[in-house]
Amino acid sequence: MMDSAEKSFKKVERDLLASVNWGVKSKVWMGFLLLLLVVCLFYYVKQLRNGLGVTGLNDIVSWGVYISNFVFFVAASLIGMLISSVLGLIGFKWITPILRIAEIIAVSFAMVAGLIIITDMGRPERLLNVFIFGRIQSPIIWDIVVVMTYVVISLLLLYVPLIPDIALCKDKKKGVPAFQRWIYKVLSLGFTYKPNQFKLVEKYIRILAVLIIPVALAIHTVTSWLFAMTLRAGWDTSIFGPYFVSGAFVAGCAAVIIAMYFFRKSYNLQDYITDSHFNKMGKLLVMVALIYVYFNINELLVAAYKLKSGEAEHLQSILWGHGSPMFWLVQIGGLVIPFVLLIIPKMRKPLPSLIISIVILVAAWYKRYVIVIPVQEHPFLPVQNVPDYYSHYTPTLPEIAITIAPFILVLIIMTVLSKVFPVVSVWEAKESSVEEQNR
Amino acid sequence: MPKFIYIIFGLMTCFWSAFAQEWKAPEEEKENVSIRLFDNEIETEGGVLFMNSCKSCHGSPTQEDFSLMLPSPGDLASAKVQNQTDGELFYKIRAGKGAMPKFGDALDQNEIWSLIAYVRSFNESYKQPEPNLEGVVIPNITLNLSFDDNVDKLVVKTLDENGNPMPDVTVKAFVKGHFGNYLLGKSRCNELGIAYFDIDSKMPGDEEGNMDIIVKASKGFGSAKVTQKMRVVDAVSFKSAIEGRHLWSVSKRAPYWLIVTFLSSLIGIWGTIIYVIVGLPKIKKQS
Repeated sequence: MMDSAEKSFKKVERDLLASVNWGVKSKVWMGFLLLLLVVCLFYYVKQLRNGLGVTGLNDIVSWGVYISNFVFFVAASLIGMLISSVLGLIGFKWITPILRIAEIIAVSFAMVAGLIIITDMGRPERLLNVFIFGRIQSPIIWDIVVVMTYVVISLLLLYVPLIPDIALCKDKKKGVPAFQRWIYKVLSLGFTYKPNQFKLVEKYIRILAVLIIPVALAIHTVTSWLFAMTLRAGWDTSIFGPYFVSGAFVAGCAAVIIAMYFFRKSYNLQDYITDSHFNKMGKLLVMVALIYVYFNINELLVAAYKLKSGEAEHLQSILWGHGSPMFWLVQIGGLVIPFVLLIIPKMRKPLPSLIISIVILVAAWYKRYVIVIPVQEHPFLPVQNVPDYYSHYTPTLPEIAITIAPFILVLIIMTVLSKVFPVVSVWEAKESSVEEQNR
Repeated sequence: MPKFIYIIFGLMTCFWSAFAQEWKAPEEEKENVSIRLFDNEIETEGGVLFMNSCKSCHGSPTQEDFSLMLPSPGDLASAKVQNQTDGELFYKIRAGKGAMPKFGDALDQNEIWSLIAYVRSFNESYKQPEPNLEGVVIPNITLNLSFDDNVDKLVVKTLDENGNPMPDVTVKAFVKGHFGNYLLGKSRCNELGIAYFDIDSKMPGDEEGNMDIIVKASKGFGSAKVTQKMRVVDAVSFKSAIEGRHLWSVSKRAPYWLIVTFLSSLIGIWGTIIYVIVGLPKIKKQS
């Protein structure tokens, strides 16, 4: 009995620590990402020098892809809360191998979301003024505070369960660079696998798992309030908070499935992230998509039934006007069809669910675009003495490059985290293998 | 169809050419003159009336920006208008013709003279003719204002020089505002020389309920004007729009509920975070 447990422990350690190294492949991949980032940074320098004039933003549409991208990133980061807290606290065991993936996604997307806001500032050096002169009545201040809080809690929720694994890396991974070993030494906090230490770690995980639920709900509700607290037709609705949160889970589930697929494939984790995980994540995605579809219908139909003057113009443009092709493609092609497909068991196998998730994630990005931009094209008060082209917004090349940069940054952060730390929790995997054998 | 249009067009041409004939004032009215001096006050009064009643067709005098109509309304500073006598102009404003409305219904004598005073102010060579006042009695009107707070009415008494009531005086009452006067009403005194004007007690006055009331009266060639501060409305207590604690105030004046909610959430959440961070080194002690 002990022998076989020992053996399976060794196998788990070997399998899961295998990815903690800097192979040629990962170096090439990082080099490629860094090269792309430098190209994007070139455009950002251009924007810094010339101001927001290099973008397609103008007097009428003053929030463009930067803001819709910000909303998307905040949305994607919310999944960490759903999987590691809500499902974890309920007691689902199957999530154990994908917990860390969800947390890595949460941390990287949330960290980068804060940076995106700065790219939307023509004078980023004035960021400090927000803290010096900010009014606590303003949702923008709430947003900044809650984003920072969420990043810190997500980092802790990634770090605390990692402590036993960092200690393991410190003991087993002698071949890594000295700097990395020093990081392991500092971050492992002298963890020596004592039962009391495990107890402490589990206690802090529980505290953080509870704490992150209200903060995660707050981060996306406050983000929706940036819109809903104004009087603009199309944003001025009371359902915006839950509407954003439910949409966030759709985007987040899709992001987790995509990450699961690539981590499993490139790190050979087929024994840990199994087809059953894809099956269950697919079901979860169907559930959150159903909630989101319900909120979509509610959000649109209530306004479309009454057609108040301001709403009428906006709805006309997105339902059958010039913004309608993107709207229907996003709603039907990017939400309804994918979730209906996911109901079929065969579609919840790894490859089909990867493809469906990519479609959902891309549509989720465009969905934020549809929420943020068309509303501004119909201002309540006519804006006078501006060129005709101001009433339609098209992002420019520098703007698109600066919008792509955050995605590259997220990939870099995810790569680094998954190369320095095991992407599946080793000690929790051991625990579940013991439980399996005892059964 | 084209035939029909030609007929209409032809008819219109005949119609307008009939109107385009010389517009003459009756001889007996030609020599009428204003008994009021065309001073700055009357010109300003006329200017305001001109904005409201004349400018839409005649445009601003000297600017040649009158409407394109047939017959043309013309610029009132033009020689064609200025060469007419005051009496002719008075008649044309009063009686109207074709597209020119009959302003005698809407304006009183003094107002029409004030319009003429305004139009004449664009003619530097104009000299106001002296009125022939032989045999004309100019009533001397005295105005006495009071406020009846039982029925919320402004009471205007018109008296002659001997202090006797003067009936049949046209009286107009206004409230003085920041950007012009608000007309309370236009009335004619009864046989006791009294005219009443309703006052809405909800109108905004000052902290004591005072308002500047302007009353203008006229009868024949006589006229009078009184401006008087009177306590006629409810007292108003003025508040700054950012006084007190509001969502739209500066940060120091944020509502208490917001400060409490914001700070307590912040302290609660960050307190827990700090508790966890401070507690982490305990792991080392346990080894």
